[in-house]
Amino acid sequence: MVNIVKRMRKLRELLWIRVGPGALILPKEVTKISMEFNTKIIGGHRGARKFWREMLPRIKYRNPALPIQISRHSDPSGPSLLHIYMSANPGSQPAATSSPATTETSTPPSGTPNPRNTLTPDTSTPTHSIDIKMKGESEILDQLIEKTGAVVIQPTPQELGELEEIKEFKERAEKDRVDVREKLMKERREEELLRLARGEAAAAT
Amino acid sequence: MAHTRSVIAPLSRITTASIAAARPELPKLTSIPYQTIRCAATKSAPKKKKKTRNTFIQYDVKRAEQFSLVDAMQYIRAFEVGRNPSSSKYEMHVRFRTLKNGPVVRNRLRLPHPVKTDIRICVICPPDSKAAAEARAAGATLVGEDEIFNQVKEGIVDFDRCICHTDSLQKLNKAGLGRILGPKGLMPSTKTGTVVNQVGTSVRNMVGGSEYRERMGVVRMAVGQLGFTPEEMQRNIKAFMDALKKDIAQMSDRITKEVHEVVLSSTNSPGFTLTGEYRGANSIAPKELSGPL
Repeated sequence: MVNIVKRMRKLRELLWIRVGPGALILPKEVTKISMEFNTKIIGGHRGARKFWREMLPRIKYRNPALPIQISRHSDPSGPSLLHIYMSANPGSQPAATSSPATTETSTPPSGTPNPRNTLTPDTSTPTHSIDIKMKGESEILDQLIEKTGAVVIQPTPQELGELEEIKEFKERAEKDRVDVREKLMKERREEELLRLARGEAAAAT
Repeated sequence: MAHTRSVIAPLSRITTASIAAARPELPKLTSIPYQTIRCAATKSAPKKKKKTRNTFIQYDVKRAEQFSLVDAMQYIRAFEVGRNPSSSKYEMHVRFRTLKNGPVVRNRLRLPHPVKTDIRICVICPPDSKAAAEARAAGATLVGEDEIFNQVKEGIVDFDRCICHTDSLQKLNKAGLGRILGPKGLMPSTKTGTVVNQVGTSVRNMVGGSEYRERMGVVRMAVGQLGFTPEEMQRNIKAFMDALKKDIAQMSDRITKEVHEVVLSSTNSPGFTLTGEYRGANSIAPKELSGPL
């Protein structure tokens, strides 16, 4: 099991998932978010991946019931899109969103390699499709907020204080790391010198 | 097991036989005692040998941050955002207060909601025999002989486990599939226990069962798929803990073992120490966590 101190530090830093850019509450009309981008960052897919890794956990934490899907293709010149599905527009949208939910409850999620294909195919068209090629993660977030009208959660002073503390701790840790490394390298160098000297002495005699 | 038996054995019998009985236990003694001994030997050979401890270093769980199940699940689902729900799993880590060199917990169980539901099992036996019917009833997906051989030869291998009936072993060996199935680890052989007489029971064991064992004082097991609802997870965790407690109770006459810490994590998330409660004071409604990921 991972060392308790290490684990507790990780949990203390969990704050990042509660506050920061992306901590927002989406309005009820948003039924689903899906993304589509390349598996590699080449070709302007860097922002998309960053957005997934950094912002999406925060969004998911604040909106736990919102399904978020990501499909990644292997074509660098392929699309890099953020789809937002909203139920506000009439038509097939509500039916399409409710049917996956019902199948989900009746059958257990399968363990096959690609269960998404076995579920009911998502035929509904997204309300908004944002092209996120060559865009930074904060730009993407801004566009998402603008399109959906999400409410951003402001961190409390206490949380800000904690964030500051963690930041300070990390800075100190980095400094310590450099110091320790220097000391270690020095020791090793001396040892090496000693060894060389001894080796030469042995060779001479 | 062997270890305790050798301890119980009368002193008069401590001859070559009992030493031989103790030997298979040696590699299982976990690598840590070895390392500590080795370090002590290299560092301070002339000094008195340090007394080696035979328990794991324990820490105070009360000081650790603890989570209720629903809270932990909310975090884990946030960490697993955008992942393929079938490739990520919930894992449990249960830490014991126990001896380093004592007997270990080791068993298998069937969870109420199996983690891996559709292992595709291939059974090689005559398609119209009784064994074939048994295998089909137990949940095997592919049953047959020549058709399967032909399929595999063409390169279509769409199963994860392969079992062979004892009577069909000759036919299988003659078909020369070892070249294809061997590297995948699917070739049935008596050594791995995949050549059996009772096809039905072994298929049934393979379908839903999962194995666990204690290593370094910790039992780890996958307990759920990412798409599980909190209720399903609760049932699975309860079943797992009950099984563990039963195992501990069975060996209570020899040794004391207690559960020290229970941690829930997943493939891409940190570990969350569980309080044992279903939901905390200000956790969200469990219903919000039951939707698709």
